[in-house]
Amino acid sequence: MTALSKHMDVQAASRDLRLRTLSFMAHPLDRLIYLASTRDYNTGLYHHDGLASRFSEEVACEALADCHREAFHQLFVSSLEDIVIQLQGYMECSRIDPLDFIAAWRGLKPYRVVVPAQTDDLCAEFLFSNLRIALAILESRFRRTPPAAPAASPHRSPGR
Amino acid sequence: MTSLILYCAIGVGLLVLLLLAVLRRPSRPEGSAEALLEAKHALRTLQLGLLPQELVGRFFARNDLEYVVANAPKATERLFLEERKHIVLAWIDQVRQQIASLQDFHFGHSRHFVHVSLASEIALAWEFATLRMVCRALYLLVYFRGPYGAQQIAGKMVAIAARVCALSEKSLAFLSPAESDALVDDSARGGAPV
Repeated sequence: MTALSKHMDVQAASRDLRLRTLSFMAHPLDRLIYLASTRDYNTGLYHHDGLASRFSEEVACEALADCHREAFHQLFVSSLEDIVIQLQGYMECSRIDPLDFIAAWRGLKPYRVVVPAQTDDLCAEFLFSNLRIALAILESRFRRTPPAAPAASPHRSPGR
Repeated sequence: MTSLILYCAIGVGLLVLLLLAVLRRPSRPEGSAEALLEAKHALRTLQLGLLPQELVGRFFARNDLEYVVANAPKATERLFLEERKHIVLAWIDQVRQQIASLQDFHFGHSRHFVHVSLASEIALAWEFATLRMVCRALYLLVYFRGPYGAQQIAGKMVAIAARVCALSEKSLAFLSPAESDALVDDSARGGAPV
């Protein structure tokens, strides 16, 4: 496979991924978390069965990596207000009690593992800082006005 | 009397030139290629990683501060200001490091690769000196007043840094992107898969 044809395949795979999967996720934060979850922590390689069967393992991996970097960039340039909205949206989708969610994110810092490989440390630190502030803002908001009980019975984390 | 002043001025001028010649760091060709690649890397880091308007704009975004002031308690506001200050100080540090790396190359090794006229060398030295001074002033200002008290000087620093980068780019232009990419690709081979 020549470099040019591989590049075109990666572009096509990225388009396919955006159209069939990522377009259903409203915010860059959702896309970032989803794409990070397709990455193997031991190898740093991305896996997506559907994409790999339509293209190839290697092309799918590069397309996922491209989309991951793109989602990171979109989140990086989002204003703090926008990040708070995105985080609140993600939290509501998780159907976990907001204060439990905030406590878990504060303690485990899951956002630390969602950055793409080779991201500049300063940019990653900036995003982490924004997420920490967003968590603090949401916490103060939920402490002031406790939310209505979620529709499904929430799973209580063992820490609380 | 006039001629005495003139002779004294010429004498002082010659003395300054002699001092400059003595103090000028000896330049050896060994290690110059490595310095050249470092300079190229520093230039790329500055232009693509540290100075883009989008990045600097996010670090100093006033709408973030306004949002926090309007929507968060005082403790969160303090945390926000502390974290932004920490990030902006780290950013200034990185800019300073890359500028120092570029400066080292220009005054230590560049003459092995390109002919730089004395006038250009003086102009570049002036720009580097100004930039380092502004970097230091910005660091102090951010340290004592926070990032939102230093937006103007940050803009000034970015403008001077962009000018220095443009001047450096001209003198490093002989190393074509294709060549430098090949070098980078070679060194990256066997590295991280993604």
